[in-house]
Amino acid sequence: MQRRLANVNIWTVTAMAIIAALFLPNMTIVTGLFTPSNENWEHMKEFVLWSFIKNSLILVVATAGATIFIGLSLAWLIAQYQFPFRRFFKWALILPLSIPPFIGAYTYHGIFNYTGVIQTTLRDRFGMELNPSHFDIMNLPGAIFIYTVFLYPYVYTITQVFLSQQSASLIESTRLLGKGPWRTFFQVVVPISRISIIAGASLVILEVLNDYGVVKYYGIQTFTTGIFQTWFGLGDIETSIKLAASLMGFVIVILLIEKVLRGRRQYSYSSTKVRPLPLIQLTGWKAVAAAGYCLSILALGFFIPIAQLIEWTILTFGTIPLDEFMSYMRNSIVVAGLSATAIIVFALIVGNFARLVQGRFAKLLPKLTVLGYSIPGAVIAVAVVTAFVALDEFLAPLYQLAGMNTTLVLSVSIILLITAYIIRFFAIGYSSIETGYDKIGTDFQDASRLLGAGLTRTFLKVDMPMMKGAIISGFILVFIDVLKEIPLTLILRPFNFDTLSTKAFQYASDEKIMEASQASLLIVGISALAIVIFYKFLEKEMD
Amino acid sequence: MFVSIENLSFSYANTKATALDSFSLQIKKGEVISILGRSGSGKSTVLRLLAGLEKPSVGKVSIQDEVLVDDQTFVQPEKRGIGMVFQDYALFPHLTVADNILFGLFRMKRSAKQTRLQEVLELVELQGYEKRYPHQLSGGQQQRVAIARALAPNPHLLLLDEPFSNLDAELQEKIRKELRDILKKANITSIFVTHDEKDAHILADRIVKIKNGQTEFIGRPCDLIDVYRQEKQSLPAVSEEKELIYT
Repeated sequence: MQRRLANVNIWTVTAMAIIAALFLPNMTIVTGLFTPSNENWEHMKEFVLWSFIKNSLILVVATAGATIFIGLSLAWLIAQYQFPFRRFFKWALILPLSIPPFIGAYTYHGIFNYTGVIQTTLRDRFGMELNPSHFDIMNLPGAIFIYTVFLYPYVYTITQVFLSQQSASLIESTRLLGKGPWRTFFQVVVPISRISIIAGASLVILEVLNDYGVVKYYGIQTFTTGIFQTWFGLGDIETSIKLAASLMGFVIVILLIEKVLRGRRQYSYSSTKVRPLPLIQLTGWKAVAAAGYCLSILALGFFIPIAQLIEWTILTFGTIPLDEFMSYMRNSIVVAGLSATAIIVFALIVGNFARLVQGRFAKLLPKLTVLGYSIPGAVIAVAVVTAFVALDEFLAPLYQLAGMNTTLVLSVSIILLITAYIIRFFAIGYSSIETGYDKIGTDFQDASRLLGAGLTRTFLKVDMPMMKGAIISGFILVFIDVLKEIPLTLILRPFNFDTLSTKAFQYASDEKIMEASQASLLIVGISALAIVIFYKFLEKEMD
Repeated sequence: MFVSIENLSFSYANTKATALDSFSLQIKKGEVISILGRSGSGKSTVLRLLAGLEKPSVGKVSIQDEVLVDDQTFVQPEKRGIGMVFQDYALFPHLTVADNILFGLFRMKRSAKQTRLQEVLELVELQGYEKRYPHQLSGGQQQRVAIARALAPNPHLLLLDEPFSNLDAELQEKIRKELRDILKKANITSIFVTHDEKDAHILADRIVKIKNGQTEFIGRPCDLIDVYRQEKQSLPAVSEEKELIYT
């Protein structure tokens, strides 16, 4: 209906423009499917496409299974039982998320390889002659291990928040019906947390499909590495567009499966009064086992790699000139800050549009922009470059008018990279802003307008200050995601432009893993700090 | 007439049922009107339509012969000169009492603003509370701030949505009288919506009764009692209301 439709104004126009700009580049991928195929593509289809699919499938299925197992068991322990250091583990178990998987991958390789701490200790201390191939983790199981220990927090956090919001009576009545703790877990806890498990696992899967760093370093052929190879190795962008389209198809299938699995089910509280779950005190060996389990996961996902990174950093301190290092850091912070700011501003505009507009179609529009997060970085890179080159061609006469003797301006600038970040991470910022708008509702806005303030004044004086929390948390989340990002940055950065993560990746790829540690440690440190601040902040908000 | 409402109709998106059907009302300057009805009767819709927060499917509203809405015109809410006190007050939580009240005065000069602030604070008897934040006030005080805020820009018309529903029973009694005094002192034309017949009888010069979007009755409070007598029902509305609240 036309409630407020009378306000077809600058807000609507801007929001529509943003939505179109975020969505359209991805369409270039779809059109790429219909261009005639060349011999590279025929060759790929015949020889390697199948192994891309097979490897990607193995990685996705095994990682999803392992992260669900670890994430769910940890969430259940924390939500239901009291044991030593539970409060610490509750937030600390999120920390592995601060280590980008590619950094974890090369760190673990460094720990396990011939000169690494494990093999040297066994050789020198114990005089054991070892077959080095037993310690090789640069293969599919190794990659699965890496993804699992660094990505399980997605399942853990979502499920843990869900479980701790469940009413105690639900669990207690199961107990009273004569079910032991194991049966309670499998017959009640698993089914009711299904939606949060699926939500967490799909994030893990999208991360795995997006990943380039781990598979490249471990030499595993997947869609992402294939896109890189055809583009930069063969210089064949058409074939890489076709690969990107296939990967997008793969992602769409996964999203559809998720939709089907979720079904129409929406579990919510059956009563308004939710009494929190009383914690069951564990004693004796059970308490030790629970704490030990949490500690070993946390050690694998955080302490061990951090210790190794710190050791390497100490060993190589000073080998990279400080001013060079500072420039990487500055680049990282500038691009992450700019992208996060742009995303939050756009999200505020689109979110305001979404709540003002009526009608099913218009409500659906903002959802389109969320697609970007499910599309792997390499695909977005292909899409954005294609779109920008076309834009440059269109603007070429203008460049000549301005006296420039080049036709490529935008597509070699930092704007290209930031645009790609915005498309990829918009969903992260938007979901935070959307929740913020939902929380404040429309009453304050109505009140403000009846006091004579127009839409823009209302937005600045009422909505913005009330959304402070949502704005800050959205900014932090986007910021650390950009900081850790690798495939987009590698493909789209301007010539000679390095960030902490590209530098870490390059050093590691050149087998200078020790030199890579300083940049890595800095990324991890900043991310970990941001994560801690974010969750402490969130906890305060929830109280 | 000061406020003229003609033939106002409205239906919500995605539903066929009309929330409000051909509502007409003429209001004199300074008059206090009560719109009485159950929840879902369409009574709040009238307020939202007058305020410009919804757009009617047909109908015309004008104040002092200036058209606010008809087939061709739609004046945006911020340009209508209508004040509203929301059911849950909608006081801006990030602003102090003073800043809440000053919010609507942004076009005034600084000195004029301060004078007006003191005037309305005095009217609602909240002098000295300027620096407080809404959450530091009681329910009754919050409501008075909301009224002061709505009155500050000198609106032609004041709308109040269920002004007593958020107050406990004891307070309601007291606030009813206070509100009547404030409205009369300010001599402002006002419309308030309520589901409680007592409110309407004590406060209103005229009562409009709405049921399922249809106007059932318009008249003075005493006339409404006559209507019931004629129907030989001893004030059924009271027990009806109880039903509504407890079911």
